[in-house]
Amino acid sequence: MQGFIQRNPVWSLLIALVVAVLLWLVFAPWSDELEEVLGRKRVFLNAIFGGITLGALYFLVASGFTLIFGLMRNVNLAHGSLYLLGGYIGFEVSEWSGSWFLAFPVVFVIVAVVGLILQNQVFRRMEGEELRQTMVTIGLSVVIADLMLWRWGGQSYTIYAPDMLFGPMTLPVISSVRDSGEIVYLKYPAVRMAILFAAIVIGVGMWLVLNKTRLGMLIRAGVDDREMLAASGVRIQYVFLAVFAFGAGLAGMAGIVGGTFQSLSPGEDTRFLLASLVVVIVGGMGSIPGAAIGALIIGLSEQLGLVYAPTYSVVFTFLIMAAVLAFRPQGLLGERR
Amino acid sequence: MTETVPAGRLSSVSSGNALELRGVTKMFGALAAISDITLTVRSGERRAVLGSNGAGKTTLFNCVTGDFLPTGGTIRLFGEDVTRFPAYERIRRGLRRTYQISLLFNGLTVADNVYLACRGVSRGRFSFLRPRESDALIARADELIAAVHLQDWRDISVANLSYGQQRQLEIALALAGAPRLILFDEPAAGLSPTERSELIAILQGLPGHIGYIIIEHDMDVALRVAESVTMMHNGTIFKEGTPEEIENDQEVQELYLGDGHA
Amino acid sequence: MALAEPRKSAVQPTWVERIPAIWWALLLVLLTMPAWANDFILFQVMGWTFVLGMIALSLMFLAGYGGMVSLIQMSVAAMAGYMVAIFGASGVGDISMGLPWWLYIPIAIVIAAIFGTVVGALAVRTEGIYTIMITLAIASAFFYFTRQNYTIFNGYSGFNLVVPPQLFGVDWRQPMPFYYLTLGCAGLCYGAVVYVSRAPFGLALQGVRDNPRRMAALGFNVTAHRVASYTFASVIASIGGILLVWQNAQIAPGTAGIPAVIDILVIAVIGGITRPIGPFIGALIYVLLRTFSPDVLLAFGLSGERFKLLVGLGFLALVFFSPDGVLGLWERWRARRARRRDPLTGGEE
Ligand SMILES: Nc1ncnc2c1ncn2[C@@H]1O[C@H](COP(=O)(O)OP(=O)(O)OP(=O)(O)O)[C@@H](O)[C@H]1O
Ligand SMILES: [Mg+2]
Repeated sequence: MQGFIQRNPVWSLLIALVVAVLLWLVFAPWSDELEEVLGRKRVFLNAIFGGITLGALYFLVASGFTLIFGLMRNVNLAHGSLYLLGGYIGFEVSEWSGSWFLAFPVVFVIVAVVGLILQNQVFRRMEGEELRQTMVTIGLSVVIADLMLWRWGGQSYTIYAPDMLFGPMTLPVISSVRDSGEIVYLKYPAVRMAILFAAIVIGVGMWLVLNKTRLGMLIRAGVDDREMLAASGVRIQYVFLAVFAFGAGLAGMAGIVGGTFQSLSPGEDTRFLLASLVVVIVGGMGSIPGAAIGALIIGLSEQLGLVYAPTYSVVFTFLIMAAVLAFRPQGLLGERR
Repeated sequence: MTETVPAGRLSSVSSGNALELRGVTKMFGALAAISDITLTVRSGERRAVLGSNGAGKTTLFNCVTGDFLPTGGTIRLFGEDVTRFPAYERIRRGLRRTYQISLLFNGLTVADNVYLACRGVSRGRFSFLRPRESDALIARADELIAAVHLQDWRDISVANLSYGQQRQLEIALALAGAPRLILFDEPAAGLSPTERSELIAILQGLPGHIGYIIIEHDMDVALRVAESVTMMHNGTIFKEGTPEEIENDQEVQELYLGDGHA
Repeated sequence: MALAEPRKSAVQPTWVERIPAIWWALLLVLLTMPAWANDFILFQVMGWTFVLGMIALSLMFLAGYGGMVSLIQMSVAAMAGYMVAIFGASGVGDISMGLPWWLYIPIAIVIAAIFGTVVGALAVRTEGIYTIMITLAIASAFFYFTRQNYTIFNGYSGFNLVVPPQLFGVDWRQPMPFYYLTLGCAGLCYGAVVYVSRAPFGLALQGVRDNPRRMAALGFNVTAHRVASYTFASVIASIGGILLVWQNAQIAPGTAGIPAVIDILVIAVIGGITRPIGPFIGALIYVLLRTFSPDVLLAFGLSGERFKLLVGLGFLALVFFSPDGVLGLWERWRARRARRRDPLTGGEE
C-alpha cells in the first residue's frame, strides 16, 4: 500500500480524491443546487447502495473464479453454470423446506461436489492445456444450460427472503432534509444489507485464510511456484480439489443470493460468467482483493450508469475494462505477467 | 521489396563504436543479474565474453537486444541511444543475435525459418503477395541454408531437426540481411567437433565490417575467434584485455581457469 | 491444441500446385448443385453453411495461424450487417440512409474492420487464455450495447427488410443466385486465406504464433503484426456478416448474442482450426445438425428443443477425443490406414 503510494503519487491522489468525493456525496446533506444538477439524493444513494450490493454479489461469484484460476491456471467457463445451478437448487430447497438459510449449506455441498467432479474428471486430465479447458468448459456450459432449461423451463424464479430479512431497514445515512428541518434517513432492503455483510465477511475470511494460515500459505505458494509446491511433497491435488470445491460452492451460494435479490432464468449463467470475467480482468487475475475492487467498480458503474445514463450503462463497464486493458493489461491488482 | 539496409547506414559502419553500454543494470526482483556494466565495442570488433554460469552474460545480451529493458543505464548502438527501443527497432539497425537455447519456429520448415529472418530485416514484412521464384530474398535464404549445411533439410519442419542442426539454424537466422553486430550466445555448445570447426570457419569468414560478441565457455574456441576478451563475474565486468592478457592473468586463472571449468 | 500444419516452403512458390482429384470432384459437386438440389438445401443449408463458414474462417485464421482465439468475429460480422442496414435500406426508415450498394458495402466492411482492429489492439496486449476472455467480454458488451441503443442500432428489434441489391436484374435472395453468391464469396475468402498463409504476412504470423520473442529478434513488430491480422480476419468476417443479414433479411442484437458467438467457436473447433477448410466442414456439420436434429430427436421421443444438448455433447466429445476437430480425426484415420497398408513408406501424400 505504502509502496504503491510512493510509486504512483499521481494515481494515489486521484483515487483518494474520487473516494473522498463519493464519501462526501454519500454522507453530506445535498444543497439545492447540487440536487438540481444530480437529481434527488435518494436516487443517488440508492444507486450507490445498489451498486455496492451488486458488487458484493459479483464478488461472491468472481472470487471463486479468480481463486481457481490463480491457483491452478484452470479456466472454468462453466463457472456461470455453477452459479445458476446453485440458484435453482437453492430455490427448490427453500421451497421444499421453507427455510432460506437451510438452502445455503445444502447448495454449497451439492455444487462443491459438482466442482470436485469437474476438477477430478475434466481439469486434471488437461492440466496446462488452457485452450482445451476453455473449449471443454464452454461445451459443458452449453450442456448444463440445456439440462437446466429442460428441468426448470424458461420462466424466471425468485427466491423469497425469510421474514427476518424482509422489508427495509434504516441506515444512518441522510437521504434528504425536509423543509421542516426533519432529517430523513435512507431506508434500504434488509436482505441486501445482509448480503453485503455476508460478502464482506466471506471476503475478509478468504483473505485471512490465504494470508494467515498454513493452508493459505500452501495455496499462495502454489500460485507463485507450482513446481516447488509439488516438489515439497505436498499432495497438491488435494489442495487443488479443496480450492476448486470451495470456489464452486461459493458460486452456488451466490446463486441463492442472486435468486433472492434478482431472479433466476436461462441466460443468467452467461451473464454472471461475463460479469466474473470483467471483474477479474479489471481487478487482476488470481487476486482476491483485485476481485473485490473489480466487483465494486463494476457494480457501481452498472448501477450509476443505469440511473444516470440508461442507454449507455454497458458502455461504462466496457470503457472501464478497455481503459484497464490499455493501461494496465494485467489488471489493477494483478501481477505483471 | 528486396534490399535491406539503406546505403547511408552502411557507410557509417567503419567509423565509431558499434556498441556503448554505460552503467547498465538489470534487476530480477532483488537479484542484480548484471550491475553497472560499462562496455565499448568498436565497429567490426570481435569480442569474446567469458564467465562462469550465472555471471550475467545472457542477461547482458538480452539488454542489448531489447529482449528485456534494463533497469538502469544507457545503451548506444552505432552511435544512437536505443535504451528504450523495442527489440525489432534495434534489429533493423543491424544488430543480430542467437539464443543459448534455440528459439526457432517449430511449426515451419527450415527454409521458412530462414526466409522469415531475411524478410524481417527488409521491407515487405506485411506483404500479402507470395514471393516469386526470382525473389532475391529466397536466393539469399538458400545461400544461408547452404552456409550452415542444411540444404538437404530445407523443406523439413524444424521440429524434426537434430539438436546440432537447430544450433546451426540459429546461426543462419543471425546472418540474415546486412548484420553489423552479431551477438552469439554459446553457439558451440553441444556441437560435434566437426560442426565446431565449421562454426569457427563461418565466424572467421565473416566480412571485416561485421563485428560480433561471442559468449563461449570453451576457451580454445573463444580465443581463436576473438581479438579481445571480457571476463564477467557475478554480474559485473571483472577483466578486459587481449586473449593473451586474459589467459596469463593471475586473477583470471584463479577464478575461472583454476577451478576446472566445464 | 494443434496448430496449422507446416506445408511446402515458401521458398518454392507453388503457383500451380497439383490439385488432388478430390478437390476437382468437390468443385464439380458444388457448381452443379443447383441442378439437383432443392431450394431449401441451396438456400438454408448450403447458403448458411458458406456464411457461417466464412465467419468461422476468420476465427480459424487468427487461431490457427496467429495462435489468437478471438471470440469477437461474430460481433464484427454483425457490425458489418448492421452497417449495411444503416447505410443501405431497411424497414426502419428513420435510421437507414438508403445509400447505393457500391457505397454502403465498402463502408460496412471498413467500419467493421476498424471495429475488429480496435478490439484486436486491446486483445493483443495479453496472451493465450486472456484473449478468449477479453474478446468474449467485449463481444457481450457489443451485444448489450446494440440492445440498449436505439439511435443507431434500433435496440431490441434491430432492422428488418434488409435485402441485397437487385444487381444485373437478378434477385440475389432467390435460392440459386444466393447459393452462387455465397459460394463465390466463400471461395474467394478461402482462397485468400490459403494464399496469404504462404505470403510473407501469413508466414510471419505463423512465426509470431510459434515464437513471438524470436520474431522480435528478427526485426518484426509482433504487436503490429497481430493487430494487422485482426484487420484481415475482420474483412473476411464482415463479408460473412453482410451475407448473413441478406439471408435473414434482418439483423437484431441476438445475431451476435453470446450463444451465436460461442457457436462460431464451436464450428471452427468441430471442423478443425488447423486448416482453412476446417471451418466450412464444421459449419456444414453444425447446419445439418441444427436443421435436421429436431426431426431426429422427435423420432426418439425427445423434444426438438434438445438440439443444443446434442450439439454441446458432440462438441464435448470432440474436444475430449480430438482437439483438432473432424479434420484431425480424418487425418489420424488416414495415417493409420496408410501405416497398415505400407509400414515402410508411411502415408501416400
Ligand atoms: N528471466 C529471468 N528471471 C529471473 N532471473 C533471471 C532471469 N534470467 C536470468 N536470471 C538470473 O540472472 C542471473 C544471470 O543469468 P544469465 O542467464 O545472464 O547468466 P549466464 O552468464 O548467461 O549463465 P550461463 O553460463 O549459465 O548461460 C542468474 O542468477 C539467473 O538466475
Ligand atoms: Mg547464458
